Amino acid sequence: MPGDHRRIRGPEESQPPQLYAADEDEAPAARDPTRLRPVYARAGLLSQAKGSAYLEAGGTKVLCAVSGPRQAEGSERGGGPAGAGGEAPAALRGRLLCDFRRAPFAGRRRRAPPGGGEERELALALQEALEPAVRLGRYPRAQLEVSALLLEDGGSALAAALTAAALALADAGVEMYDLVVGCGLSRTPEPTPTWLLDPTRLEEEHAAAGLTVALMPVLNQVAGLLGSGEGGPTESWAEAVRLGLEGCQRLYPVLQQCLVRAARRRGAAAQS
Amino acid sequence: MTQGAWGGGAVRAGATRADDVRRAERLGSMASVALSEAEKVYIVHGVQEDLRVDGRGCEDYRCVEVETDVVSNTSGSARVKLGHTDILVGVKAEMGTPKLEKPNEGYLEFFVDCSANATPEFEGRGGDDLGTEIANTLYRIFNNKSSVDLKSLCISPREHCWILYVDVLLLECDGNLFDTICIAVKAALFNTRIPRVRVLEDEEGSKDIELSDDPYDCIRLSVENVPCIVTLCKIGYRHVVDATLQEEACSLASLLVSVTSAGVVTCMRKVGKGSLDPESIFEMMETGKRVGKVLHASLQSVLHKEESLGPKRQKVGFLG
Repeated sequence: MPGDHRRIRGPEESQPPQLYAADEDEAPAARDPTRLRPVYARAGLLSQAKGSAYLEAGGTKVLCAVSGPRQAEGSERGGGPAGAGGEAPAALRGRLLCDFRRAPFAGRRRRAPPGGGEERELALALQEALEPAVRLGRYPRAQLEVSALLLEDGGSALAAALTAAALALADAGVEMYDLVVGCGLSRTPEPTPTWLLDPTRLEEEHAAAGLTVALMPVLNQVAGLLGSGEGGPTESWAEAVRLGLEGCQRLYPVLQQCLVRAARRRGAAAQS
Repeated sequence: MTQGAWGGGAVRAGATRADDVRRAERLGSMASVALSEAEKVYIVHGVQEDLRVDGRGCEDYRCVEVETDVVSNTSGSARVKLGHTDILVGVKAEMGTPKLEKPNEGYLEFFVDCSANATPEFEGRGGDDLGTEIANTLYRIFNNKSSVDLKSLCISPREHCWILYVDVLLLECDGNLFDTICIAVKAALFNTRIPRVRVLEDEEGSKDIELSDDPYDCIRLSVENVPCIVTLCKIGYRHVVDATLQEEACSLASLLVSVTSAGVVTCMRKVGKGSLDPESIFEMMETGKRVGKVLHASLQSVLHKEESLGPKRQKVGFLG
């Protein structure tokens, strides 16, 4: 989103009124730690993108579009031995460029479009999680662009973006080893630290630690992992990773259904 | 099953180690090194037998040199050399207004500069991506209540607080950047001396800041709970700690774990183009915790020993 220069600039600093509200700290309600929010996923909805997907989980809404493969800049290097399976040599492999954007109205406070460090960190996390799944060797000298747009942040935004990006790549017909499914977790603060699967925004704000896991369900390989906070000893983190992987496996059938429906729709549209 | 970019302990039907190695590429945007296929196979096979090219075991660090107080214009500084990786960190303490959500605390700001000295690829804007990645990781590690006592950085709530600007300079890059940078940041924070200030209020209500006259009257930060990063690179079926550039080129995926001296993990991140088996992640976390504890113990003892030498110690700086 370009900076908007045409509007009259308001005061330099502006704050939302909630900061001055009386301290009504609503603690999140207790719930089953392993519940996953119902997910609505739809692939193939943008006409201009090669592949696209929209994912809604609770209050989190993510829209993802994939374009390409197109010629990569600086792709004139060559040489090196070819990989097995007819793949391009290392220097010629395709590239995956990921972009993560948050809409300014996505969170509680308005965040101006060039979001800075956080968006780049999440874009890098997206790239690192999607790369193991995409057969980049089959797209020599090309680049695939994935752009995720977070419309509303209702908790576990990165996990939703990962899942949507994988669906969009599959919808675009990009060759992949497996889908990537993302799952978010958060740890409640002391005195009773428990790991909650698929936290809402309120639970994330009150959390002591957060973790996002990305799994390739059929291969059972962890494609991405990003976590931080006061998570406690390694056993606690290991338990969280296991819970997250289980959550990803449970989410997989929904995504398969979504892709089948999208393929049917595409087939019907092609016939008529 | 087709060959994927994973290096787990699971059975990979049809893929041999040679295939795995041929697909090895440089990790992220760090400096690249030209390795022949034979060299990669040599490194991978050696690691499976717990033998690395320089004779270390899989869990051994290279020789680390730490020196604090190398730059005089800063509130605290440190220089760390790990093999050929050279990092210089300077901490400057400045007064500013606290953030709105946390009016009783100061904060830290990180900036990482990958200078073109480290490798020609960092010339111009080339090193920016890597610098942002490292800075974001540092923010993530320090983003919890126990790492640094931020309340001690507050001067008067909602009005004044100390902001610590931690600036990291990459002078030379030879693999394992994250670990070295974290050690340097910890040493620099240990060395930081923040002058004591008092806020005096007049009858009219205007505030005046008074710096104490004695230049040695300062507050020190407690770095007991500052974590250290341990990067574990997955090479073949095993993982190694403190990989050199050549070893990083043979590894497809790494796990970055940030541990405190008490064994508490504050950050976990998978780095690289490959994927990891869940069982290897658990093993790597345990190794990271074990190695991290040893690293903390030796770093603490070195820092205390250096401080006990007092102002008369010989400063080596850049001449050694």
